[in-house]
Amino acid sequence: VITTITILIPLLGAILMLLLPDGERLVRYAALGVATVPLVLAVYIYFAFGDDLGIAALTQDVTWIRSLNIGYRVGLGGLGFGMFFLSTFLTVIAVLASWDVRNNLKQYFAALFVAEVGMLGVFAAQDLILFYVFFEVTLIPMYLLVGVWGDENRRPAAIKFFIYTFLGSTVMLAGFLAFGILADTYAMNDLGGGGGLSRTAQIAVAAPILFGLLVKVPAVPLHSWLLDVYVSSPTSTNVLLSGVLPKLGTYGLIAVAIPLLPQGVEPFLPYVAAFGVINIIYGAFVAFLQPDLKALVAYSSIGTLGFILLGAASGNAVGLNGAVFQQVSHGLYSALLFILVGIIAARTGTRRIEDLGGLAARMPWAGGLLALGALAAMGLPGLAVFVSEFMSIMGVYATFPVQGVLAALGIILSAMYLLYMLARVIFGPIERPAYEEIGDAGPAEMASVVPLAVLLLVLGIFPALLIGIQRPAVDAVLSVIGGS
Amino acid sequence: VTGQAFIALLPELISTGFLILVLMAGVFSDSNAGVAAGLAALGTLAVFGSAALLLATGFSGSYFGGGFVVDGFALYFKLIVAGSAFFAVLAAARWSGQTGDAPEYLTLILSVVLGSTLLVSMRDLFGVFLAIELATIPSYAMVAFDRSRRESAEGGMKYLITGVIASSVLLYGIVLIYGVSGSAMLQDVADTFSGNLTPVAVLGLVLMISGFAFKLSAAPFHFWTPDAYQGAPTSAAAFLSVGPKAATFAILLRILLEGMPDAAPTWTAVMAFLAIITMFVGNLFALRQRNVRRMLAYSSVAHSGYILAAFAAIQGGGVAFAVQAVLIYTAAYAIMNMGAFLVIDLVGEDTKSYNGIVRTNPGVAASMALFMAALVGIPPLSGFFGKLWIIIAGAQSGSVLVYIVVGALVVNTVLSVPYYFGIIRNMIFEEPTTDTARAKGSGAVRFCVYVLAVLTTLFGLIIIPLSALVRASGLV
Repeated sequence: VITTITILIPLLGAILMLLLPDGERLVRYAALGVATVPLVLAVYIYFAFGDDLGIAALTQDVTWIRSLNIGYRVGLGGLGFGMFFLSTFLTVIAVLASWDVRNNLKQYFAALFVAEVGMLGVFAAQDLILFYVFFEVTLIPMYLLVGVWGDENRRPAAIKFFIYTFLGSTVMLAGFLAFGILADTYAMNDLGGGGGLSRTAQIAVAAPILFGLLVKVPAVPLHSWLLDVYVSSPTSTNVLLSGVLPKLGTYGLIAVAIPLLPQGVEPFLPYVAAFGVINIIYGAFVAFLQPDLKALVAYSSIGTLGFILLGAASGNAVGLNGAVFQQVSHGLYSALLFILVGIIAARTGTRRIEDLGGLAARMPWAGGLLALGALAAMGLPGLAVFVSEFMSIMGVYATFPVQGVLAALGIILSAMYLLYMLARVIFGPIERPAYEEIGDAGPAEMASVVPLAVLLLVLGIFPALLIGIQRPAVDAVLSVIGGS
Repeated sequence: VTGQAFIALLPELISTGFLILVLMAGVFSDSNAGVAAGLAALGTLAVFGSAALLLATGFSGSYFGGGFVVDGFALYFKLIVAGSAFFAVLAAARWSGQTGDAPEYLTLILSVVLGSTLLVSMRDLFGVFLAIELATIPSYAMVAFDRSRRESAEGGMKYLITGVIASSVLLYGIVLIYGVSGSAMLQDVADTFSGNLTPVAVLGLVLMISGFAFKLSAAPFHFWTPDAYQGAPTSAAAFLSVGPKAATFAILLRILLEGMPDAAPTWTAVMAFLAIITMFVGNLFALRQRNVRRMLAYSSVAHSGYILAAFAAIQGGGVAFAVQAVLIYTAAYAIMNMGAFLVIDLVGEDTKSYNGIVRTNPGVAASMALFMAALVGIPPLSGFFGKLWIIIAGAQSGSVLVYIVVGALVVNTVLSVPYYFGIIRNMIFEEPTTDTARAKGSGAVRFCVYVLAVLTTLFGLIIIPLSALVRASGLV
């Protein structure tokens, strides 16, 4: 029940937002208050039930459509809890980072909270159809967040985002339906290990599901919707767009496709790993060429998503734990970088890398955190990303050595463009006289980035905080797929 | 005629009674549009209530020599017809008062209700024909009723001519079937349509389905639809595209399932082709429209295609789900499409008049956005559940042709995104212009739109009792 309450609170919050009287301070504080409640509940769940989550705890099972055997089935498991927590956390961060949104603030927060309902729902869903429904619930609010509050290129970006991901998820639904019909139920805990399907049937079902999930991630040949959307979004939307949305895809891969269709997914795993490598290397090369700081961060974000695919494909404990962990650490660092880009762009009025320079002198805090974020992105030990990328590579090397070596190479490439970016943007001489005047990040802005940096450090030093929770669930997945 | 038969005919008797009352209201006074509208609304509610009562008490039976049947299936569609008529009456109340002929217009709505409620209970092919005509002939007049717009007369005329042709084709098909089987009763027809079909029987079947295709605006028999819906008063287009259409789908389903179950391989194949053509024609033409009425007209063609896809899936393991899909889809479609049409009364028919209405009229903009998203089939809105059932039925049919139909349905769903979301884009992303409509239309229309928007949104909850009702409807 606490799971359902946590999912529904943002929905009530969205309605509350629309009913509030105008008044910017009131709306911002109310939004912050609403966003905090699910976070507090998630933290409570962590401390009260964290050790016993297993595959799915705190479940609720209500029949929804009896004739189709579809139920409202939710529960929190070790695979989903990290992202469940991160969704509540990043929503708070997104509210804090919404200083660049000035028009129609109430509606903005309402859309944000409806999106949060969908995200929380996906990470808690224990029924395939419910998973799909929540998956799609995020779609319209995200479309509005980009299309109404984005920059001048927002409309084509929003519609492109919508059509691509809608196509992907419709194909995924077809796969889910075929699966449910063949297995005669949509309840995930009855479907473990393939729900009694033959290997051929599993492969046929897995193909559309994987396609839909990989579009959502996005894996590289399917990524063409992404850049415009990321670049056009307001900063606080970016936080969710890069921090949580791709994980709907990767979480689906790890928690739905792999354990429920082990034999069906198995032939595709080398390709999933290859997609991961392509993401890493392609992301690094293209990021290198970007003149726009935000586009660079966007490609960096695509690149490091590759590690999740790698770890998921590995089929062993190290890799899977790394993949589940990387979902969280990727969310933390990409949110951090996007917010900092927003702060810098707001100060200097440009995002062009060649027009920036020497910002560390004028804004030491923001510059320092940008450096921290960039170092996290290239996998510096001591930060959360290092732990998860390292585990993913170790895991995949054991299964697919070629992909493992190539992915490790990708880390070097990412170090190249990130260091180049840092050198251009924050170090060196001050590029423009106007930059002499700009100040450092203010308290509100700091409030939105410092928690991210702290969490990156904490999880980097104490990865067991998260891995302890996810391990039982990962072991359960491994026992289904027969890995070690 | 026994007492039981009177109870069985309760919805029809009530609509006849109110039909006379509303007409009388017009005879005795020139200025009582309000009374007529009130009576008509009460009448549709009474029909709805009586059908619901019969359903709740589990009433069933067949009367008049087996030609008239009351079962869960028929009552379910009577609910849809009466419910959509209720909203049509409310939406038409003020507009028809302004024309000065409110009682006449409302009488036409009630006669369509009478025809449609009779239709879904028919088990006799000639009865089917009579009921269809009883529902269709008033609808020609409804379409042509708006004398202030030339398109109305033009649309009514086109609708009349094509409708009459369709009726004669349908009748010809029925007569051939009668000639082969020597009886127009569905259970006797079923004996003839087993084993190898004679050429005459096949011809009869094809002609009858063609006649229905006209009535259901299935491609390539759809060409009257955009003109008729564009010309028709909004309440007429809204009602005719959902209420009588649902009833026509229902009786087609009954004829095929009760009258020719053994010929299923033949008619499911015909339906599969009709469905594919209809979906693509509807969506591809809808993409090109700048007028919201025409767009919704083509959209209704596309949705007929989706429902026909369910007909194609009536084979193999998909039979039960396919029949359920028709019932669920028509209910979901009635809510969302009616809402979308009624918004035209509040905003306008030019897509430009939707620009930026989120700022001037946020409630209407939000409702329209919900209707559009529901028509695409985005969960958890109403349209999603209809498509869910069709896809499940198709997947269980075990026929490659049906898999292709389901694939076409998925493709068409994505294909329909640009035009539905074009409206959302105009409403939300564009700046208001001089074309942007000021709030117009009556409070009653606004009320209908809001209620329908809430029903569309909460369909995920409505589906719980609805699916139980559908499971118990008992056609298969």
